[in-house]
Amino acid sequence: MKARAVGIVAVMAALSAAAGAAYHLWSRGSDGASSRDLAEAVERVLQARVVDLQGASQSLQQWRGRVLVVNYWATWCAPCREEIPLFVRMQERYGERGLLFIGIAIDQPDKVAEFAREFRVNYPLVLGGVDSIELLRQVGNRAGVLPYTLVLDRKGNLVSREPGGIKEAKLEKLILPLL
Amino acid sequence: MPIARFLLALLLIVPAFARGAEPELLEPDKAFRFAARLVDERSIELSYQIAPGYYMYRDRFRFTAAPADVRLGDARLPEGKRHRDEFFGEVETYRGALRIVLPFERADAGAPAIALSVVSQGCADVGVCYVPYEHRAELKVASLVSGPTRSDAPLFGGTALAAGSDEGIAALFRAGFWLVVASFFGFGLLLSFTPCVLPMVPILSGVIVGSGHRVTRTKGLLLAAIYVFGMAMTYAVAGVAAGLSGAMLSAALQNPWVVGAFAAVFVALALAMLGVYDLQLPVALQSRFALESSRMHGGHAAGVFSMGVLSALIVGPCVAAPLAGALLYISQSRDVVLGGSALFAMALGMGVPLLAVGASAGALMPKAGPWMETVKRGFGTLLLGMAIYLVSPFLPVSVQMFLWSALLIVTAIYLRAIDPLPAGAHGFQRFSKGVGILALIAGLAYLVGALSGGRDILQPLSGLRVTDPGSVPSETPFARVASGAELDDRIRAAAGRTVMLDFYADWCVSCKEMERYTFSDERVRARFREMALLQADVTANNAEHAALLKRFRLFGPPGIVFFDREGREIQGLRVIGFQPAERFVAVLDQALGFQR
Repeated sequence: MKARAVGIVAVMAALSAAAGAAYHLWSRGSDGASSRDLAEAVERVLQARVVDLQGASQSLQQWRGRVLVVNYWATWCAPCREEIPLFVRMQERYGERGLLFIGIAIDQPDKVAEFAREFRVNYPLVLGGVDSIELLRQVGNRAGVLPYTLVLDRKGNLVSREPGGIKEAKLEKLILPLL
Repeated sequence: MPIARFLLALLLIVPAFARGAEPELLEPDKAFRFAARLVDERSIELSYQIAPGYYMYRDRFRFTAAPADVRLGDARLPEGKRHRDEFFGEVETYRGALRIVLPFERADAGAPAIALSVVSQGCADVGVCYVPYEHRAELKVASLVSGPTRSDAPLFGGTALAAGSDEGIAALFRAGFWLVVASFFGFGLLLSFTPCVLPMVPILSGVIVGSGHRVTRTKGLLLAAIYVFGMAMTYAVAGVAAGLSGAMLSAALQNPWVVGAFAAVFVALALAMLGVYDLQLPVALQSRFALESSRMHGGHAAGVFSMGVLSALIVGPCVAAPLAGALLYISQSRDVVLGGSALFAMALGMGVPLLAVGASAGALMPKAGPWMETVKRGFGTLLLGMAIYLVSPFLPVSVQMFLWSALLIVTAIYLRAIDPLPAGAHGFQRFSKGVGILALIAGLAYLVGALSGGRDILQPLSGLRVTDPGSVPSETPFARVASGAELDDRIRAAAGRTVMLDFYADWCVSCKEMERYTFSDERVRARFREMALLQADVTANNAEHAALLKRFRLFGPPGIVFFDREGREIQGLRVIGFQPAERFVAVLDQALGFQR
């Protein structure tokens, strides 16, 4: 009987390993975007039409050639608001060297305008709609998390994606080599 | 039982590996679990189960309803927890369970359903928020008149098994803990009357018969109990693991290598039973064990336990409907304790007849005798048959036929089908020769079928028939879809028609049964002609397929989803698992009749 039990244990071990490996492969596959898909999604973000606070149609294309930090945020999102003063400071410090923050707000225009005045936001703010949310998901933010920040180099290549709040040290480490 | 503990540890480790290390943020529909129901003819109750560490904003709910004649009143939102917000001033947030009552009026009493959309906003304490998230619900007003909502009804009916109403099972979970566990036990009992459990009977009997020469009633019962416990453990672990990972577990367990390994184990056990080799211990050990035969041995118990574990994995797809419902719930709520307990209870329910087998095997069996050898061989043959059945989804029909024919013919020879009977043969010899001849003829039929290119395992000689084009049912005209975008295109193209989407995979046994027995039915085919038929073949299980399954919150095939004439899913009308033609026709009629 021992021999049988040992045999069965061996089979179980093999099965567990196989199931684990299969799951691993499967879950990796389901995580979605390949690097090419991702580059295409970022390109769509740059080309998408967005609306500025005056209601005029804009696209992120016009700022190509600079190092871009694209920040998805909202005024009702407390963790988003917390990092805005940092962005304002860094825009001040590195703006002349070619750094540009762009805020895409998932929000109402009046709230965004009020916030921009109060916090003296010194970089472009635009309003995102349903399609911006869709694009946000396509660049890999499947759960639709805010804040969410993309760092792009001067050619528009994606350098980093940062879900959640970002620390000053980390952001500097990301952008300084690009400037 | 060190080995049993080792096995358990192995089973528990697998999902742990799969989970990965990074701290995980819940998807919004899991962080804010939504449900809606009609309270009466003028109010809807919405409930959110907010995961710990997440919160929602009180003043950020937006409600819309269709059709246009449904007018929503002011939602009654409970008081939230107040916070000072530096920008907004005072805001109120919700945590934990949230219940909202939404009054409504409708002009047209004839509208059978209300499509409700709720947009909400929420955040997690770790420092992120979610973009506004939309939850949708389709509420059937008609169901108010007929008492309980349709999806709840079939759960305890006699035909609940085939109905496969995943929504109903998910709804059940909202009841109390013990009620849920008890219900699932009862559900398991019902399941045990389906053929799903039958494959386990020969395995268990084989285990008991093969376990020793003296099988007492108590020992038989004890072995059966260990076996059932192993089976129940698997269900509980599988349920919890699938809930945590959201994975297509049954697909992983149905992959050719895994099933091949099972089949190999069966073949090995079968050969031992047929006396090809001896699985016995050295004489010295054996005599020592003989002394302890009244007690359980650790190693043996572990073996029986692991047989239970293995068997549960095999019959899993057969009980797809209740499993899908439970897994759906677990993965959404992450209430793994309740989900795991419910599945455990279900498996125990399924095991009750097996306990009876165990007890009776002990009771029926005399202490020893040459006939035991015959029984053992019989079970050996059954195990070989099981092995063929298991691997058959992966083999071409001609190979299956060849295997069956080999099994049947060799069995027939063992039953002395072609040996002459002695003059004074007694009844049993004559009977076994009769059975042998039947097996021989069936085996020959399969052999001829395999060689003549027969394509139907149930009609091995159909390849020889003079083809009559009228009688051969043509292939059901399914349009294949491989991705969400393709699906949307097809649904748009089918505007004005009801759409049926069938999830299919080569390894999915009930999909094949559905095709062979249900889709081929003339009444079903007549209704098919009125709808657009789509099929998603998810055999390859790539990222697109996974996304498609996730979109419909399915864990894998089998699953059939319907869309109304405007391309929206008809909620509560899914078919999961095999359904015979009569019931399926009723579902199709409902889908075709569903208009707003």
